[in-house]
Amino acid sequence: MDYILLTELAINGVFVGLMYALVAVGIVLIYKTSGLANLAQGALAMMGGYATWAVASYFGMPVWGAIPIAIVLMFLVGALIERLALRRMIGQPVIMVIMLTLGLEIMLRGLLPGIFGSAVKRLDLGIPNAPIFLGDFLINRSILIGGTISLAMICVALVFFNSKLGVMMRAVSDDQTASWSVGIRVERAIAIAWGLSSVMATVAGVLWGATQGIDWSLSLLLIKALAIAILGGLDSIPGVLIAGVIVGVAESLASGILDPLVGGGTRDIVASVIILLTLLVKPHGLFGREHIERV
Amino acid sequence: MEISRRSLLAGAAAAALASNVKIGVASAQEKVIRFAMPQDFTRIYTFVTAEYSQGQRDYISLINGRGGINGYTIALDVSDHGNDLPRAIEAYERAKTQGAVLVDPLSTPVARALVPRVLQDKINMVTAFSGRSDAADGTVFPYIFPLSPNYWTQAALLIDFFRQKDGDLKGKKICFVHIDTPFGKEPLPIVEKLGQKFGFELQAFPYTPPGNDQSAIWPQVRRARPDWVMFWGAGVGQTVALTEAIRNGLPMDRVSSSVWLSQSDMDVVGRDQAVGVLKFDPCESGREPKVIQDILKEVLQPGKGAGPEDKVGTNYYNYGVMLASVMVEGVRMAFEKNPNGPIDGPWLNQGLVSIKDFTLDGFIPPTTVTPEDHQGGGMGRVSRWDGEKFVPETDWFTANQDVVWEEIKKYSQEFAKTGK
Repeated sequence: MDYILLTELAINGVFVGLMYALVAVGIVLIYKTSGLANLAQGALAMMGGYATWAVASYFGMPVWGAIPIAIVLMFLVGALIERLALRRMIGQPVIMVIMLTLGLEIMLRGLLPGIFGSAVKRLDLGIPNAPIFLGDFLINRSILIGGTISLAMICVALVFFNSKLGVMMRAVSDDQTASWSVGIRVERAIAIAWGLSSVMATVAGVLWGATQGIDWSLSLLLIKALAIAILGGLDSIPGVLIAGVIVGVAESLASGILDPLVGGGTRDIVASVIILLTLLVKPHGLFGREHIERV
Repeated sequence: MEISRRSLLAGAAAAALASNVKIGVASAQEKVIRFAMPQDFTRIYTFVTAEYSQGQRDYISLINGRGGINGYTIALDVSDHGNDLPRAIEAYERAKTQGAVLVDPLSTPVARALVPRVLQDKINMVTAFSGRSDAADGTVFPYIFPLSPNYWTQAALLIDFFRQKDGDLKGKKICFVHIDTPFGKEPLPIVEKLGQKFGFELQAFPYTPPGNDQSAIWPQVRRARPDWVMFWGAGVGQTVALTEAIRNGLPMDRVSSSVWLSQSDMDVVGRDQAVGVLKFDPCESGREPKVIQDILKEVLQPGKGAGPEDKVGTNYYNYGVMLASVMVEGVRMAFEKNPNGPIDGPWLNQGLVSIKDFTLDGFIPPTTVTPEDHQGGGMGRVSRWDGEKFVPETDWFTANQDVVWEEIKKYSQEFAKTGK
């Protein structure tokens, strides 16, 4: 057993997991506000990546200048999704609203490559590809920076939920009718959640886009994000943080340990196994709130 | 009469659709040879199809603009099968009823699904860089034409290049990083056999499709300390593989890939980042070759180009030109063999298997197709990325064809026996 390799895989897994967790935070934001699992989060990350690339390309801007513009645009996109699609679904069963988000995911996967062309697009953040060696360990510079930025964004989300606006959104999540009755504008709170979720998705799309290029496959981040959100507990941001690290390390180590034994392909199975095991053993995840209803 | 919004919209949609429908049925007097090009423009092979098809259409425009062949023009029926088998089969059946003598689906699953039909209908199917590698055996697959080095030949040629560089591969280590699909695994038996023959150690590293996260694979490759690396994928998997190879500090001049690596991929990775990386090249790249210059002058300048001018001369565009030129050469040879037709599948088939030492003014390696060898001789070369373009590292050559043909025969005989 090559312990140096395993340690290296584990360290890189931590940062990759944090980058996945950034997508999962978007799912949690919406779930905490509206009690809805947003299955379009992968496509929103892809859209954020495309938006940044498009702003940079069409206006001849440096990528770092295009990112804030794309973030603002994507906030508006998120808020518009609430206004144009979700608000019309008020009163419909939750499962139909979840199916709506799935439809959105599938539609965006086809629409955006159709508009911008299906070839992979380059998004250069200026992060050098040269590896960092700590003794015998290699740290992937791009993943290190991506993971660190993701960690910062997740901390911002954590602070946000303790702010006045965040408390209001948590109130909406707890009881929409009661929130209405005390004067909270529930639709506005949900629209803000969708906007913020799209902002998180955009940052994730940019970080992953810089790692792999921009194309439809960015939307596949959804599966990893769902595994992390479910393991962490759908309404817990600290849960997402910890689950992200667990999933990232587990995937990375599975690839190093199991792939040579079974001939490869174990990395992507890990997320599916985590979803299944969590739902079977601890349906509310590691840190999710258990809802108790008295009858 | 009151027109509702719904009927207005429906009418507008119908009018818009009708304006886009091409009337494709030629009159009996029209001297046309039909090629069907149902390809995947929208799903899996999107990374290549647009440029490949553009090259094909521009070359056919060049030929038609010069009066066609023997007074006949080539009609290309281009459609999108989206890598969806029912749609592809429907497109094939439509092409058959319209009198197509050749079909080029540019998709491995579609080509595999169409094999029994084209063999029965005697319509020639081109499977360049796709389909079954064993279809090189024309005695078993008389109507299937790879017309280009298959994946076994590409891998065998790269291994021979490593041997040329190092003198001897005994005791060397070669890592083969591949997408975990039948396409990605395809060269493995050949590379294993060559490992036994030349005494090198082979380590395979599969990654899950589409390959957008390979961060756990490449540290393993690096720590294996390979002498050479081959990476085998397509689309996003290729750009991610190359980026990860760079990030893991692997020397680019010891890293190589199959036919699926292009300038467009380098734009994603960073043109200056991947300097030195090697690839298998089936034809000339760039705009300098005479045929590309002719296309620019006679097709692009008069505004008859099939796509954006900046894509002219890219690797995948040139593959399209390459394959269209071999098809047209097949037509030329068919007229030489049977000037009076009838123009049908068997007629073109006779022409295709009579192509001899065709090079298109040096644009492609000497290509000879026979009733036995539908691969066309299996020649290609290795090119190196210099930061701007792929520069030939070798002349046209082929290698290890004894091992490759052993494998071709093994699988084609299996097909002859079982139909699978």
